[in-house]
Amino acid sequence: MTETTTTAPAQPMILMEHVDKFFGSFQALKDINLEVGRKEVVVVIGPSGSGKSTLIRCVNRLEKHDRGRVLVDGIELSDDVRKIQEVRRETGMVFQQFNLFPHLTVLDNVTLAPRQVRRLPRDKAEELGMSMLEQVRIPEQAHKFPGQLSGGQQQRVAIARSLAMQPKVMLFDEPTSALDPEMIKEVLESMEELATSGMTMIVVTHEMGFARAVADRVVFMADGQIVEVGTPEHFFTAPREDRTKQFLAQIL
Amino acid sequence: MATVTLPARPRTEAVLWIRKNLLSTPLNVLLTLLLGTAVGGAIIALVGFIADADFTILRVNLALFVVGGFPRDQLWRVATSLGLFGVMTGLVAGLVWSGAAARAREAGLPVPPRSSLRQIARRFWPVGLVVAVCLGLTQTLGPTISVVSALVLGVVANRIGQAVPHKWRRWMWLLALLLPIVAYLTLTMSGIGWDQWGGLQLNLFLTMAGIVFAFPLGILLALGRRSSLPAIKGISVAFIELVRGVPLITLLLLGVFALGFFLPLELRPSGVTRVLVAITLFESAYIAEVIRGGFQAVPPGQTEAAASLGLTAFQSTRSIVMPQALRATIPAMVGQFISLFKDTTLVAVVGFPDVLAGSGFANTQAAFNAQGLARITLPFVALIFWAGCYTMSREAKRLERRLGVGER
Repeated sequence: MTETTTTAPAQPMILMEHVDKFFGSFQALKDINLEVGRKEVVVVIGPSGSGKSTLIRCVNRLEKHDRGRVLVDGIELSDDVRKIQEVRRETGMVFQQFNLFPHLTVLDNVTLAPRQVRRLPRDKAEELGMSMLEQVRIPEQAHKFPGQLSGGQQQRVAIARSLAMQPKVMLFDEPTSALDPEMIKEVLESMEELATSGMTMIVVTHEMGFARAVADRVVFMADGQIVEVGTPEHFFTAPREDRTKQFLAQIL
Repeated sequence: MATVTLPARPRTEAVLWIRKNLLSTPLNVLLTLLLGTAVGGAIIALVGFIADADFTILRVNLALFVVGGFPRDQLWRVATSLGLFGVMTGLVAGLVWSGAAARAREAGLPVPPRSSLRQIARRFWPVGLVVAVCLGLTQTLGPTISVVSALVLGVVANRIGQAVPHKWRRWMWLLALLLPIVAYLTLTMSGIGWDQWGGLQLNLFLTMAGIVFAFPLGILLALGRRSSLPAIKGISVAFIELVRGVPLITLLLLGVFALGFFLPLELRPSGVTRVLVAITLFESAYIAEVIRGGFQAVPPGQTEAAASLGLTAFQSTRSIVMPQALRATIPAMVGQFISLFKDTTLVAVVGFPDVLAGSGFANTQAAFNAQGLARITLPFVALIFWAGCYTMSREAKRLERRLGVGER
């Protein structure tokens, strides 16, 4: 499918096969088939309501798929709680609304999961947490509360919080959509560095510049279906499908 | 021109304010006159009443109001437990401050100022007023000495709590929380059981014990109501709705007069225990509903974020949902505690000698019988409850403001 998965028969990091998802009688996902290789960065774009968020929320089972299979690093998601926990430990997620824990300091936000889930002692966890905050360049905010930070800073804390679990996959659900324009850049830079470091990522976004520069593949969704998949180059210069052309014409 | 008007300005503004707010229209002038007369008349009547009244009934019966039938030769136990509560309050306040100061220092923020005695006096003046009124009615020096020493102990414990080294803080907290138990043992050892308690002491005991027992039970019920297991959810909902559908007085009467028929003789609890059980069950249902409201105030994104990090449902509830839910419920929770404090007077109706019952007893004594002296004793009881409830509600507002710091 692409040129990036040169490490031949390796198991894909994420595998979705014939996935259907319903909300009541509304079908949010229709026969989704997607493979994400190790270290691959996939950007998902599409009009609102097209199922982009639902798709990535199925990867860490914040939404339960109704048909088909979802595998993360070879672990199949089912009702088995232990399997779900196992996948979530390997999968970080960054939300549109940041969802930082407002009653904890920035450092406590970042160290909570390493301490409770990975059972790291406090000093080890704080060392790790500080290095993650340095990675997103806000170590000086460690002892503040989330409410005292700007939106861009909060989102970078959210990234650090996920990274502190040392995940194999990072999911981004419109990470810059709730930000003021001047703060979008700092978050995208952190994400770009992460991609360069070899993280496997699925990013739902409207930032076409980011998609063009960072994505290995772009997935275009509409009405719960994957309409077109391709390299950014192909995707932005010579889209095949009419729906894709229409969408690109609207936003570019 | 300016130099002439400047000194006169405050007065002009006051006059303007009065004109604008009290005398703006003929109707307003009329209302101001009517209300002014009513309020002024009430104040004059009140001052006259207090000046003329004979407070002998309160002087003679002060112990009855405060400790009920507690053996008079054992009052040192009450004084000791008062001192222990003083130490606990001071210690807890000091530890809270030193904890906040340590966190602020670590974060490089300005250290919060210690509250001065003047600020404390301003915060707790209603309680101070009632204590002063009571001490003014005493006939011996004993109560004054014990109140003053409790205050001094509190201040000393406060300084200790502020200065305690970091590694000992945990132990000091433990000590502070053990003190009420020591106070309880001081009161009950050598056979002075709950059933000999009375007066305000009984109301305070029922309030505190009610909170201590009902709060965890309420949390469990609120969690149970959210549970995905139908049996647990069903039991919780049934309990909450059943208890909330029954007046407290009915539960108290059931506990006192009907519980005996359901239990074998050797298992029948003592009177105060029955009342406490009824109060605990009643309060837990209301606290559960308050906490449920708090759960609903936590956005779903919080549990999603916790889940995405790999936290189990239990960890997420304990570390993410519960702290935020409880913080959101502080105003409603304090309201609940205030009404519990007032509701404890219902035990007077089922025959326990609490502070309200004290008013009744005093008025049946030969010296005061049938003289309408309830006009003195009932306002006295009301003053005690008002001071406690008003202080609680002001402290709750303060706590709310302070905890709001980290809020989004």
